[in-house]
Amino acid sequence: MSLGPQGPPQLAERLLARWLPPAEREFVLGDLEQLFREEIEPHRGPRAARRWYWQQAMLALITLHAAAPRAARPVRRGDGIMRILLQDLRYAVRMLARSPGFTAVAILTLALGIGANTAIFSVVNPILFRALPYPDGERLVMMLDDGDGGIRSTTGWATIHDIETSARSLAGMAAVGGWGPTITGDGDPELLVGQRVSHAYFGVLGVRPMLGRDFTAADDAVGGPRVVILGYGLWRRRFGGDSAIVGRTITLGGNAYAVLGVMPPRFENLLDPQAQLWRPLAYDATLPQSCRTCRHLRAVARVRADQAVTTAQREVDVISGNLARQYPTDYSSPPLGIVPLQQQVTRGVKPALLAILGAVVLVLLIACANVMSLMLARATHRETEFAIRAALGAGRTRVVRQLLTESVLLALLGGGAGLIVAHLGLEALLAMAPAGLPRLDAIRLDGGVLAFTLAVATFAGLLFGIAPAIAATRSDLHGQLKQDARRSGHGPRTTRGALVVTEVALAVVLLAGAGLLLRSLNRLLNVPPGFDTEHVLTMQVMTSGPRYRQDAAVWAFFDQALEAVQAVPGVRAAEAVSQLPLSTDFDGYGVHSLEKPRPNPSDDPGAFRYGVSAGYLAAMRIPLLRGRPLTEADRDSAPAVVLINESFAKVAWPGEDPIGQHVRIGDPSKGLWRTIVGIVGDVHQTGLDAPQGNQVYMPETQSPYGADNSMTLVIRTAGDPVALAPLVRAAVRSVDPDQPITRIASMDQIVAASSAQRRFALALFEAFALVALVLAAAGIYGVLAGMVAERTREIGIRSALGASRRELLGLVVRRGLGLTAAGVAIGTAGTLALARVLDGLLFGVGARDPVTYAAVVALLAVVALLACTLPAWRAARVDPMVALRAE
Amino acid sequence: MKTAALGEFEQIVLLALLRLGDDAYGVTVCGEITRRTARDTSLGTVYKTLGRLEAKGFVATRLGEPTPQRGGRRKKLTRITPAGRRALAAALHTLRRMARGLAPAWEAP
Repeated sequence: MSLGPQGPPQLAERLLARWLPPAEREFVLGDLEQLFREEIEPHRGPRAARRWYWQQAMLALITLHAAAPRAARPVRRGDGIMRILLQDLRYAVRMLARSPGFTAVAILTLALGIGANTAIFSVVNPILFRALPYPDGERLVMMLDDGDGGIRSTTGWATIHDIETSARSLAGMAAVGGWGPTITGDGDPELLVGQRVSHAYFGVLGVRPMLGRDFTAADDAVGGPRVVILGYGLWRRRFGGDSAIVGRTITLGGNAYAVLGVMPPRFENLLDPQAQLWRPLAYDATLPQSCRTCRHLRAVARVRADQAVTTAQREVDVISGNLARQYPTDYSSPPLGIVPLQQQVTRGVKPALLAILGAVVLVLLIACANVMSLMLARATHRETEFAIRAALGAGRTRVVRQLLTESVLLALLGGGAGLIVAHLGLEALLAMAPAGLPRLDAIRLDGGVLAFTLAVATFAGLLFGIAPAIAATRSDLHGQLKQDARRSGHGPRTTRGALVVTEVALAVVLLAGAGLLLRSLNRLLNVPPGFDTEHVLTMQVMTSGPRYRQDAAVWAFFDQALEAVQAVPGVRAAEAVSQLPLSTDFDGYGVHSLEKPRPNPSDDPGAFRYGVSAGYLAAMRIPLLRGRPLTEADRDSAPAVVLINESFAKVAWPGEDPIGQHVRIGDPSKGLWRTIVGIVGDVHQTGLDAPQGNQVYMPETQSPYGADNSMTLVIRTAGDPVALAPLVRAAVRSVDPDQPITRIASMDQIVAASSAQRRFALALFEAFALVALVLAAAGIYGVLAGMVAERTREIGIRSALGASRRELLGLVVRRGLGLTAAGVAIGTAGTLALARVLDGLLFGVGARDPVTYAAVVALLAVVALLACTLPAWRAARVDPMVALRAE
Repeated sequence: MKTAALGEFEQIVLLALLRLGDDAYGVTVCGEITRRTARDTSLGTVYKTLGRLEAKGFVATRLGEPTPQRGGRRKKLTRITPAGRRALAAALHTLRRMARGLAPAWEAP
């Protein structure tokens, strides 16, 4: 007989199997399943049947446990605890159901706190805490080059090669370079992000292709075969997941490449998450860019299984020191060291993520304080109940356990609701995540996160349950029986006051954090970028294919494209540049002076190099400070000229006039000497928060290493630049429809994207601060309302004795503001102590910025006053007669 | 011999066992009671009662054969013992005696 796939709910079955008395287990489970299959499911449908099963299972558990004759039950500790727990649980459910308002508020508060924590933890967990998605990922290291004073991860081929051949503690090493091929055939032309890698690359990472084979040393030889391995996503998207792809050829940049293999879907390429295909590096060490100081490759290595990572680090340091001694003109200091890949991947984002994680933990603490305060208020009302239970023989531990069961149950319910909050929050987070956030694909709510929520919820439950539980039982239980339950002891009230102070203090921390970040962002966006960002459309245009093998063809293409774009109505100017400021473009060279040579050319300053069309600086409105601008006459055949930026002039030619002097770009030993003809304003290249750096502008047709095959068009428009994008794009396509156009954005959008990480942190802090503010206000309100309710009689007497309304109002407001002031004081002190955590995220404001703190205090004062109003109003309206009769 | 008094549901369960004969186990007992009394009876209540009756020696159990719709689990077949029969008879007898002489509608069963 065939059974339906849907049996009884497995979890319920497992619970039963775990907790039923062993003698009954088999028959009960059998009976339930038989009824389920024969009667309930066919008649009521699967959903109702599952509900029925759960109901029956719970009833069976409860009745069988309660019914077993006492004498017959073996005296085992576990059994007793189980029974007590079930009893406590049942009781807790009843208690929570009896006060739905309290339960709803508490669950909602906890859901916010726990949900926010879960969402943030989901983001942070794979980035900061979980192991890299490679076997023995902690043994993977990355080379760091100590070039130009700043630590960078790119280095040169020769350096990598030397370290690879001499380091004994490394099991394998791979160099990685960028690659942006355009694919044609099989659909529209498309610019792909790829990587050129040593043949050992996948082996070092510990991954292998899902289809086909990995690269071999033969593939990686100069002049070796054109072969490529595809990423899973590209394979599915472009080739429909065709497994016959292996061995086929595809056309990349006009050349035929044989597909060797396809990587599995789970492969995360941390060195460039966007890369969709890989080809062998096949490095030609005779090319000019193989010079020791040409740092354009990254290297990843695996430390041997029998060696510690620290051992490998020491060894590489030694080798690196030797290299510096051996090639003194190439390295001014030991060239590089190694760091764990994990550390390198998270380097840029770690401070922000830790600050956010800290902030969200504060939110949870505030939520807990709030619920604790609610529970305390309720505990005061339940003192009679506890006294009765104690009188009936419940020990103090029993009562405490009961209360803790209630709070943990509450926390778990809050945690459940929190998962919904987390799910929604995570979607929002991922939608606004900055581009630099690593391992985005690994971020999701999974088992680990679920376990985390559960742990947080339980912990939260214990945290906010313990104080009320102890407070409730500390008082003299028997004395309580005789007294009116409404007259509560001083203990809980003081505790609630302390809780409100805590909440306010935590809210101050969050508000100050949010305020500092907000002011930082404002300062940052007020930094002049060095050019006029308004009404500028940008798009990256590539040239690829056999047609563009000659530089002249590339230049001709861009000339024609610019001409076509200039003809578009609404376009004021159309120019081109090899790297766009504030985008992620990064292209720098050493600049060597003819008049002031240094003994070691590698000590010469580096500069961003901009290959530009003649009108670029004018179109961007980058001011010419001295000298002459570039003109159409400065072409490939004319004398080589450059413009430099103001900072560079000051740094490299202090007290001199650089105009008329000569520099070489790139290789210090060969190439043209270029005359400096003008000085222009500074432009921020890598970010508004980064120093401008040195900049060199040259006519694109005089570039030192030939034509740049990727240029960004910069189009100044009369109106909305984005609206013009389709027309501009069509104009470029009219020149050559096969060249991919990417990264279409207005300059304003690019500036905004460059501060995305800050915006991300700010948005989260703002959200958390808002939640904190609301919860703190609710806390203040709760305490004051409770106070007014408890002291109705006293207030009534005061009123009867002639206290004016104003005095009564003052009584309540004083208490509210007193609590707030204490919280603000503690919170401010705490924030000042903690502020350096935020240091890395701030810009242009100190972590102790007085304006921010003043604003936070003012805001809290206003909110506290608002929270006071209703209770104060109530106090002022107390009718003395009613209050006195109430006793 | 003085026999322990039977609760109402215990009587109902024993009557169901008499009706079911050799095929009395949780599912069928539950079904029989539900059908005849139109009460919604949960398995848990039936188990609880059967357990109590077994402890009093009014019912005896043996293992039945497993079936696929039970997920391959065996049944616990239950039958009434002579002591159970006596107790049930006594209980029903008491009821009848108490009802005798009242208005006709009360006389049954």
